[in-house]
Amino acid sequence: MTQRAGDSRERDALLGEAWMAGLADAGLGLADVESDVAGIEVVIERSAQGLTRFANSQIHQNVWWEDIQAGVRVVTRDGSIGVAGAHTDDPALVRQAARDALEIARLTPPDPEFPGLAPSAGVPESIVDMATAAASPEARAAAVRMALAEIPDEFEGAGAYQTVGAELGVFTTEGQAAYAPTSAAQLTLVVMGDSSSGYAEDGGRSTGAIDPAAAARTAVAKARAGADPVDAPAGDWHVVLEPAATGALVQFLAYLGLGGREYLEGRSFASGRLGHQVVDDKVTIVDDATSADTVGFAVDWEGTPKRRVELIRDGVLSAVVHDRFTGRKAGAESTGHGLPAPNAHGPVAINPLMLPGEDGTIDDLIEGVERGLLVTRFHYTNVVHPVETKITGMTRDGTFLISEGKITHGVRNLRFTESILRALASVERISSETSYASELFFGGSRCPAVRLPSFHFTGTTSFG
Amino acid sequence: MKELAQLALDEAVAAGASYADARAVIDDSETLSVQDQRVEGADRRTSRGVGVRVLANGSWGFAATARLDREHVLAAAREAVAVARASATAQRSSVVLAPVDVVSSSWATPYEVDPFTVALSDKLDLLLSATGAAMQTPGLAFAKASADAWRSEKWLVTSEGAELHQLILQLGAGVECVAVGDGEVQTRSFPNSFRGYCGTGGWEDIEALDLAGNAPRYADEAVALLTAPDLPSDVTTIILDGNQLALQIHESVGHALELDRILGYEAAYAGTSFVAPRDAGSLRYGSPLVNLTLDSTTPRALGTYGFDDEGVPAGRHPLVVDGVLRDFLTSRETAGAVSPDARSNGTMRADSWAAIPLIRMTNIHLEPGEGSLEDLIADTDQGVLMTTNRSWSIDDRRVNFQFGCEAAYEIRGGRLGQMYRNSSYTGRTTAFWGSCDAIAGPDEWQVYGTPNCGKGQPSQLARVAHGAAPARFRDVQVGVG
Repeated sequence: MTQRAGDSRERDALLGEAWMAGLADAGLGLADVESDVAGIEVVIERSAQGLTRFANSQIHQNVWWEDIQAGVRVVTRDGSIGVAGAHTDDPALVRQAARDALEIARLTPPDPEFPGLAPSAGVPESIVDMATAAASPEARAAAVRMALAEIPDEFEGAGAYQTVGAELGVFTTEGQAAYAPTSAAQLTLVVMGDSSSGYAEDGGRSTGAIDPAAAARTAVAKARAGADPVDAPAGDWHVVLEPAATGALVQFLAYLGLGGREYLEGRSFASGRLGHQVVDDKVTIVDDATSADTVGFAVDWEGTPKRRVELIRDGVLSAVVHDRFTGRKAGAESTGHGLPAPNAHGPVAINPLMLPGEDGTIDDLIEGVERGLLVTRFHYTNVVHPVETKITGMTRDGTFLISEGKITHGVRNLRFTESILRALASVERISSETSYASELFFGGSRCPAVRLPSFHFTGTTSFG
Repeated sequence: MKELAQLALDEAVAAGASYADARAVIDDSETLSVQDQRVEGADRRTSRGVGVRVLANGSWGFAATARLDREHVLAAAREAVAVARASATAQRSSVVLAPVDVVSSSWATPYEVDPFTVALSDKLDLLLSATGAAMQTPGLAFAKASADAWRSEKWLVTSEGAELHQLILQLGAGVECVAVGDGEVQTRSFPNSFRGYCGTGGWEDIEALDLAGNAPRYADEAVALLTAPDLPSDVTTIILDGNQLALQIHESVGHALELDRILGYEAAYAGTSFVAPRDAGSLRYGSPLVNLTLDSTTPRALGTYGFDDEGVPAGRHPLVVDGVLRDFLTSRETAGAVSPDARSNGTMRADSWAAIPLIRMTNIHLEPGEGSLEDLIADTDQGVLMTTNRSWSIDDRRVNFQFGCEAAYEIRGGRLGQMYRNSSYTGRTTAFWGSCDAIAGPDEWQVYGTPNCGKGQPSQLARVAHGAAPARFRDVQVGVG
């Protein structure tokens, strides 16, 4: 293990609650000397992360960085709000941020809708693996070598292996002192041949969740099976979506419609539909940052403990998530989904989980398809119509033709343009096995595969 | 801060780096957001840190820290060397850097009024007057306005002897008018979507936008879109307004010509490219009207600077000439893939002290043709004019794209007709650019800032820009889905 400046990696991995509280005190103390201050919130977020990237079957980018962000929100007695922040471990700069926030508040009109700062509340137990938080560059490189060793010469491997140790502390003059450490690890891997590619990923709260060699074997098998792809015409297809593809639908559904702000402003499919059937009754989606199946902090950036929220239960829309602002507007409590201030977007369900079904493996799902497509993952998915939850994107790294219950050939990538709600309106099967899946612009969680009778593809391309 | 960079550089070399560079950076930002007459956010941030990039045993390593005491800066430098040595355990070939002229210099964005010195109340008044003007339109659900300012001061020192100091000032502002009803959300943005105008310069550029004067027209259009028909599916002629063409350039030219992507460096994440190094000089990228240029010197453009983060000076480089591919966006590491004696064209940028520099777009322009937008429309018998991006997607080789726009207008007999909502078009890169048969002239040419260009792992956001005048494309599939 490499030593840095005489400190051990284990000791540096997390700085701890007392250290963060000490830094926060530099900001909170402004309330004692400025008479027009009604309240102060100081958010300290610190992370030490290593990310080893490889391409063309060698490590080509390899980074480690330590960041400490202090965000200060000041509320004046007339109800004005100011926010300022600094990336620093210097108490003097945190105090300066508090002064800047107060100056902004004094120049800003009062906000009659401000719901107040978070009061004292307990925080759920955090899931943290110290070995992951303290992982060395040698350990990351060793994991990459394990994956590359499984890739035959006729293929090239590319991907990334990341380890994270992070901690979030939210301290308010209302008495909240919430501290939540966490760890995370993720491996993504693409194996490329002359005419095809294959994808695998693995991840979770610890490096122990990742088997680099197994992931590489999965990606190699996909690249082999997809060689010399054939065309599949655009149109409606019977599909099996692997966890990475299913996860993209779940993440976009949560982002587009299950936050309290878009719900209250009538900009969500969920607006006015609580208690209504919105998707197939096999589908249950929860948001749960405290689950071992997701990654993230056990407290939000307003200091509210994160709650497990059942968003969709047996196909019925049961809740949206709230921060303190939308909770107050809705006559509900915050569910612990606030983002860093100032937050013009509103709360977001950032840890959505589709619960697994009882239908076995991906192979079991494929078995029942007379003619259809197996989709490994989507690429560059983006929103077409937010209220209809219509999105578009491409397939990549393993799209296959299914004929009479078996994979028969790789197919060239296709573009889809589809409403998530329409796609999930009829779900034939949900696998009982799950695997870790992340979406390009979101976080990760374990997710099942699904089989859908209809999924709408709108274009083709010339490669697999 | 320069002393901290030098401290890190010296420590990295002492620890065994064969090459090292160190950047000390102070990034200050201010973000203001209002909705209707409520201030939703007023936020100032400062971010300070040191990042050290090294070559050891022929491989890259990088480490960075926000902890700016001597102990942690030295530790970061040693960590960078340890990371590089770990990289070398999974290495096929050693990194070779193209030569660069070693310079000591400084550069600063020209501006008249520093946005950070403008009174906060004046800036909020400007935004609140814009949303107030928009909300005069009956039926509008809400209006948002925003203003951003970014000041980046950085010191770069390298083991080759370069010493550079830059002060880059970027800013932006815009207004968004949102109409909601009957399962529809329709938005019109001025002067562009995704936080409006963005450029380098001073507050005088924001005042010149006249947000309050323009907001009512866009509010009216947002409400009108609620009852407009969807753009029907068809294969037809389209004219893209410059602000949409900017994102078309971004996705199907800029990213496609990044040489690191072409060489597979981004394969597992954002993908590769349909272009190969051998295509320079032969690949027909578009029609003979299509000329595309990398220019990191364009005045007031968001991607303008003095030197990249490898110390290579900004410059102007043709990428596509008369429709034929000529060059790529390159770095010191990748330039040799084009020809053995090639040099970097200066596109390496990191989005903070905590990140390594990557090949980024700077400013990528479509050179103007002739005539006006009015002339283009008058010369079009049947088609659609599309404006202001609202959705984008492209495959992992930058071939199959699909874009959505905030508004579209029917063209019939050389005149604009009815408005359409939920408009989209799709195509394939070289076929699309090959179908370009008219580009409006210099009077219509504008530079559009894109403040949210994502790339790399860990993800970095770059601020880049694209100059374009409205252009016409034939036989395009519209109304997708």
